[in-house]
Amino acid sequence: MEEFKFIGKSVKRLDEREKVTGAAKYVDDIEFGPNLLYAEIIESPHPHALIKSIDTSEAEKMEGVVKVVTGKDFPYKFGLYMKDRYIFAQDRVRFIGEQVAAVIARDPRTAQKAAKLVKVEYEPLQPVFDPIEALKEDAVVIHPDLKNYPHVPWFFPKGGTNITHRLKLRKGNAEKGFKDADFILEDTYRVPRYAHCCLETHIAVGLLDYSGRLTVWASTQSPYTQRNLFADALAPLGFSHKDIRVIAPFVGGGFGGKAGVTMEIVAAALATTVKGHPVKVMWRRDQEFYNTYMRQQVVTKIKVGVKKDGTITAFEMANYWDAGPYAEYGANVVNASGLSATGPYRIPNVSIDSYCIYTNLPAAGPYRGFGYSEMSFSVESHMTRIANAIGMDQAEFRRKNGIKEGDPVAYGAPMNPNGLLEAIDKVADEIEWGKKEESKDPNKAIGKGLSIFWKAPAMPPNVTTSAFIKFNEDGSLNILVSGMELGQGYLTVMAQVAAEILTVPIEKIRVELPDTDRNPYHWQTVASHVTWASGNAVKRAALEMRDKIFEVIHAAYHYDKDSLYLEDEKVKCKLHPSFELPLKDFVINGIQTEDGTYRGEAIVGSGAFMPEFTSAKQDPETSQGGHPNVHYTVGAGAVKIEVDKQTGKIRILKAVEAVDAGKAINPRNVEHQIIGGLLQGLATVLYEDMRFDENGKILNPNFTDYKIPTFLDIPDEVVPIIVEVPQPDGPFGARGIAEHTMIPAAPIIANAVEDAIGVRVKTMPITAEKIAMAIANNKKEVNDFLMIMKK
Amino acid sequence: MKKISFILNGEKRNAYVEPNDLLVDVLREKLGMHSIKYACGRGDCGACTILLNGKGVRSCIILAIEVDGQEILTLEGLSENKLTSLQESFIDHSSFQCGFCAPGMIMSATELLNKNPNPTEEEVKEGLSGNLCRCTGYTPIIEAVLDVEKKDVDKK
Amino acid sequence: MAIVHEFEYFRPEKIEDVIKLLGEYKSKARLLAGGTDLVVRIKDELEFPEAVINIKEVEELRKLEFIEGKLHIGALVTFTDLIDSDIVREQFPFFWESVKTIASVGVRNRATLAGNICSAVPSLDSGPALLTYEADIVVMGKEGERVISALDWFLGPRKNALKESELVCEIIFSLPERKHGGSYVKLGRYKGEDLAQVGLGILALEGNEYRLAFCAVGPIPKRAKKLEALLNGKPLTDSLIEEAKKLIPEEISPITDVRATKEYRLHVAKVMLERGIKAAVERIDGNGPAYGEKLI
Repeated sequence: MEEFKFIGKSVKRLDEREKVTGAAKYVDDIEFGPNLLYAEIIESPHPHALIKSIDTSEAEKMEGVVKVVTGKDFPYKFGLYMKDRYIFAQDRVRFIGEQVAAVIARDPRTAQKAAKLVKVEYEPLQPVFDPIEALKEDAVVIHPDLKNYPHVPWFFPKGGTNITHRLKLRKGNAEKGFKDADFILEDTYRVPRYAHCCLETHIAVGLLDYSGRLTVWASTQSPYTQRNLFADALAPLGFSHKDIRVIAPFVGGGFGGKAGVTMEIVAAALATTVKGHPVKVMWRRDQEFYNTYMRQQVVTKIKVGVKKDGTITAFEMANYWDAGPYAEYGANVVNASGLSATGPYRIPNVSIDSYCIYTNLPAAGPYRGFGYSEMSFSVESHMTRIANAIGMDQAEFRRKNGIKEGDPVAYGAPMNPNGLLEAIDKVADEIEWGKKEESKDPNKAIGKGLSIFWKAPAMPPNVTTSAFIKFNEDGSLNILVSGMELGQGYLTVMAQVAAEILTVPIEKIRVELPDTDRNPYHWQTVASHVTWASGNAVKRAALEMRDKIFEVIHAAYHYDKDSLYLEDEKVKCKLHPSFELPLKDFVINGIQTEDGTYRGEAIVGSGAFMPEFTSAKQDPETSQGGHPNVHYTVGAGAVKIEVDKQTGKIRILKAVEAVDAGKAINPRNVEHQIIGGLLQGLATVLYEDMRFDENGKILNPNFTDYKIPTFLDIPDEVVPIIVEVPQPDGPFGARGIAEHTMIPAAPIIANAVEDAIGVRVKTMPITAEKIAMAIANNKKEVNDFLMIMKK
Repeated sequence: MKKISFILNGEKRNAYVEPNDLLVDVLREKLGMHSIKYACGRGDCGACTILLNGKGVRSCIILAIEVDGQEILTLEGLSENKLTSLQESFIDHSSFQCGFCAPGMIMSATELLNKNPNPTEEEVKEGLSGNLCRCTGYTPIIEAVLDVEKKDVDKK
Repeated sequence: MAIVHEFEYFRPEKIEDVIKLLGEYKSKARLLAGGTDLVVRIKDELEFPEAVINIKEVEELRKLEFIEGKLHIGALVTFTDLIDSDIVREQFPFFWESVKTIASVGVRNRATLAGNICSAVPSLDSGPALLTYEADIVVMGKEGERVISALDWFLGPRKNALKESELVCEIIFSLPERKHGGSYVKLGRYKGEDLAQVGLGILALEGNEYRLAFCAVGPIPKRAKKLEALLNGKPLTDSLIEEAKKLIPEEISPITDVRATKEYRLHVAKVMLERGIKAAVERIDGNGPAYGEKLI
């Protein structure tokens, strides 16, 4: 086994000192000077309506108001995978809270006051909130012009309907597979919407300077993608990529909510109307809930057939996703999770249909897990029920059917090396799987739940990334990348990769936050792919530098390059043991030779990475033939809970999660992802509970009534477990693990609840209320779905 | 505009405020105390926590004019010289991820340790439960706070 | 988000000055103590006061004293003051138990009991203790002082018995003369800070007297008179508890909202009654779960 000095070590986070001293700057902490203007948004009070007229005259008259902007000023569409979104609503609004106009003023109070004076006349239209209703033939069509929207080639929107994408996957022969089955279980599961709840709300500041350059400071996961979409949407105004700069300081949480572009484009657009003045657009907490992305709701119908011995013979599934009125990103959640909806099982016959459906709830899109958490709730609940029904141990059922390296996944490509079985074994051991436990309290029951998971990065096939590294005079390093430090520890891990190659200690490395003028290209920090992809780019850049270092030594001393190596910030030579030269002595100013001249140069490195085996050219009728995913990360989770049979309250006695990191570059960071991600997942299944009224208005856009966990709500014990089956093309064998950590949370609770009290809850969240009322009313199954509250 | 005077991080400062100015805005915008974070605006999350006369309070639901004559400590004040053992412990434990909750969390934890230098795990959870964090799952924060006590004991 | 509404601000140091200002601005004045409710409501444009009167400089409102069996809680006493008070914890442990369920440290450091009862929200956690200890609320106005029993204080959601131009000066709890035990049981959605979905406070006195009060299951925090009539004079038995549980639907009128359904509130109220009353009775003799321990 290769010995590493920095890889596999739990070095301290690079950004922690900045964060614990308050030095870390987030967008709103930057001073923009006395010219700063503030925007206030005029929002739609209707879920679906035509805009008849907008009267801005009263607002414009108010002292301190600089400009009032409406949709007429920006008749441009934008979107990541499909252009179906507008900077401001044009002729129609499609959800409550949609931006219709904006007031730009000298101070926030004036902006707020003036916004109330903007008069908008609407003609209400019939709204639709339920994805199944929205599919009906007589349903109101939310985007009459859908057939003309530009989109990526792997989307299949159906004009004249609310179907913005349909993924169709067929492998083997499902019909035959069900004929071969000895037992078939069919059921419907339902997952509501959820909110990311980043502590920092969305914020963007745009500035068009007098020379015509547009700079946007944004709290974002995606500086380059933002620049690309700004340039694309604002091209009619004469902007090209080089005219636009996106600066991304620290970001106060992302979780997918700050991927792509949402409100930031408003700041970019408004800036173009007030040259020379920075304009700040900052979401309040309630806006953060309804006008960024939410997680999509989904109705899943699933049918699985097995032989008596537990072998899965067939899998059939239909998913009806509610994307809200704009699916430019959400449709790819539907696509990616549909391709992988079987979960990590070897199944010969598969039929999956996933529909991405427009509704008049707020726009929904990416959220940590990218659809896999939702699929995992239904599939892992279902697999547990099947194992129990045929009298097979659940862990054994999963070992038997769990996917192995080389097995074809649902779309036909071979599965990568993985530690799924090891993860199952370790989790089962840790939770003492199979050992029945009883509570001392007669009112309480103890149950255990288990589930397995996988997830692949969901990205276009040709996603690419790059890195620059430069030496400083003292031999320290600056690494320039455009991946985003979301809190996952990206900066630290990139430093560890460079440190390993260049032998420069972590304390002498800075990794710079993105600025599209300075740092090289990176698509977006999403899909848990940056350790893998950006890690590869940084490694290549460091290797290029090492090569240049050896060139310099060779030029100065004529040592054979192959005999040179780096150790403790020095160049050494296998053939000349007495030779050593500290890097700081020459990496900037070179080495003086006997004749007084110098050999060398300022050592810099660049590296880039793109997977060259991926393709999205699958058959639209079967999804076979392409290779849309680079690899899967797998794992398993388990939980032991105590249920109060009278109140329905759940106490988590122990939670265990194993994830196959390939190679954990920073094991503590991996453990911290498990602890944090698992809690985020547990919250979605236990108490996070988004509610809308019958008109599609969110009722709890605040932390008073959308409950995210506190210190008092963590499990009694969490055991993170790292499995390491190397990823052949990963940096030092590493692959991503961050989103994955929340995926098993929902089914392990659902399964443990059934184990404890014999009640199967098929709708999320599994609140104390659902459990208590099921027991009180002697129900064995719960289908109650409360997201839209009836009067 | 009314002139108010108060002690900010040990120094006497003045500010001109309107009665309806919020303390969070005055400290951030007029006095440059950017460690304080706006996150919920209604006292639910603790990101804007500062110490007012030694007690952790939510600066987003306090009128700036109320602090006339009072004493305020922000994270800037804690960080001016040598970091506190608590801050060092957070660094050692890599406790925070996105870091947005950190300033408020540190102020709350500072108050907790001032009041109770040897808290139990339960006391740490109870004392900090008004400070929300979406990233960490809290465990790395609890470990760091509990470790401060051990470190200080080791020093003695 | 900035506050848009504009108002005058006053910081009187004497009660008479407060009363004078109240007389001047009448219904357009709001008193500011902790501000944890008021500032949010002004910000959310639910209140539009012309005058905000900060009473924090009125020193005499700051006292927290235990004199001759009576606890005097001044209008400026915060929840933290109450939780940290040895007297409250030792002499009024059931009140202490209720107060500990309110908000979290950063809010408790500012929010006052007086402000809390003036807000008079249906989910008022301090309500049941006030009602069962039968606290007195001392208020002052132009006409002088008057004492309002907690039993007469709550008039409706966010409506209390305070007249225009009056302020709360103190809240007085009398220590019951007999041995007693109590419990406050609160239904929240999780263990962290939450507004009560059902709150039940029970004070059990030696000699089979029971005082019960609910919050969050009707327009105001309220004594449970029907339950008390059934229970009083009887030793606590399992069958008595069962009978009492059956009365719950007649006693409370919860609604369905985003926090919980009416059915669940009714269901859990029964569980809370059973666990709460057992604990309260056990605590009379110093047995049962420690105060502060969660019963649900």
